[in-house]
Amino acid sequence: MSELLAVGRYEFRMQVRKRSLWLAMLLLAAVIALTQGDRGPRYTEAGAPAREVMAGWALLFGIVVPIGFGMVLADRLVRDRRLGTTALLESLPVGPRVLLAGKYLGGLASSALPGLLAMLVAGGYETVHRGDPLMLAWAVLAFGLIMLPGLAFVAGFALVSPLVISAPLFRVLFVGYWFWGNMLPPEFLPSLSGTLLSPIGDYPVSWLIGETALYAGVPGWLSFLRPAPSGVSVLVSVVLLVLVGLLPLVVAGTVFSRQRRTA
Amino acid sequence: MPTHRLPLWRYESRRAGWAARAAPPAALLVTLVMALLTASGGAGHDQVGQLLLTGLEAILPLAVGMAAVTIVARDGCRELQLSLPARYAGTLGRRLGVLALVGAACAVAFTAGVWLSGWWAGPNILASPLVWAPPMLWLTGLTVLLGMLGRSVVLATSVVSALWLGEQLFAGSFVALDWTRPFFLFTTSRVGVGEGWLTNRLALVGSGLLFVAVVVLLLRRPHLLLTEEEE
Repeated sequence: MSELLAVGRYEFRMQVRKRSLWLAMLLLAAVIALTQGDRGPRYTEAGAPAREVMAGWALLFGIVVPIGFGMVLADRLVRDRRLGTTALLESLPVGPRVLLAGKYLGGLASSALPGLLAMLVAGGYETVHRGDPLMLAWAVLAFGLIMLPGLAFVAGFALVSPLVISAPLFRVLFVGYWFWGNMLPPEFLPSLSGTLLSPIGDYPVSWLIGETALYAGVPGWLSFLRPAPSGVSVLVSVVLLVLVGLLPLVVAGTVFSRQRRTA
Repeated sequence: MPTHRLPLWRYESRRAGWAARAAPPAALLVTLVMALLTASGGAGHDQVGQLLLTGLEAILPLAVGMAAVTIVARDGCRELQLSLPARYAGTLGRRLGVLALVGAACAVAFTAGVWLSGWWAGPNILASPLVWAPPMLWLTGLTVLLGMLGRSVVLATSVVSALWLGEQLFAGSFVALDWTRPFFLFTTSRVGVGEGWLTNRLALVGSGLLFVAVVVLLLRRPHLLLTEEEE
């Protein structure tokens, strides 16, 4: 456990100092916050509950912030190999699974920080604008319930997939996937939009605001993954996102362990 | 092209990397799979045609843009290149040229296949290069420019991806405004080939060439590229 925390802390401290992490994600968050249309969370009616306002902000940031998140994490393991630090890390008395898990946790924590900061800034703005101190608390809750599970899902694939298909190819496919799997109307073509596996947080947002945010539960492909939004379906969605996001790590960890044994 | 320069192009093609060469066909392959899925789901002829057109106008240019910035950033022996008498702009130009050639060849083959199979939903086939070439030039020029200015692949790819996504999501807003309409990347697939289509294509080509010109100017000081952050 202490080894896992040590690797995670190392990865976190390394990643959090990365200039492009902050620049890319805060730029994207600022642009979408400033250009939101009159249906954006800034224009939610006066007197709307804090959970509704901050769920709207989390959904708004969830459109673009994970793009920067995926781009940042896409080169983490590839870069270790390119710079030759993989061999150095393998010489440590830590198994490949622990190393990978630590990198996942550290990378997730550091790359999620700009998202949390964006939510806190939005929460601060809404606290002043609406005079409701609950906005800040809901900013943190909405981040944890809506954005974080989706980021955990993306992190698993963004770390491991580039090892197989290369970072540039992953980045292209990731952007296409993000549009297809989150924002494309399910009636247009078979898509994961509106399912429990939609990492944009459609289910938690729909549950918090009391109406369909995007396409959660709308009939479409894989109907068993499209229950009506409720507390239970939100919980299932969060658990599914985290578990499916761990799958690439489990596969990669097994492959790395075998490689080390046969080396 | 003189035959003695062929090995140089072959070498630059290898330096560009397999991922760059694979990105354009992979993008069109994904489009094809999506179209097959859509067709098997009972979608109409027009809907499938639109999807195939979107692959050509939206997905292929994004793939080429992403691959281009990687080519610029990933040179592991740039210091060595800069010590040679050959201009670095020419070297990079050849590598990006290989990518453009692969992209164009894939686009022409894809267009021919779609047209011959009767799914073509775009303009006259002779004008078909205007579906993919302007957005490809524009997105690639912008991505490389941002990559050079920010010296970060992450920053360039994030901004361009968000712009691409924004234009897809808020297409109506982009088309509604007079000053954004000429620069809307997906006019063929989202609006159609009507009034203003040619103006839009020419505006994209013009601004794309402007991006390329600034990149060439920046490459006159190639040492600025030496501090890039990641692949």
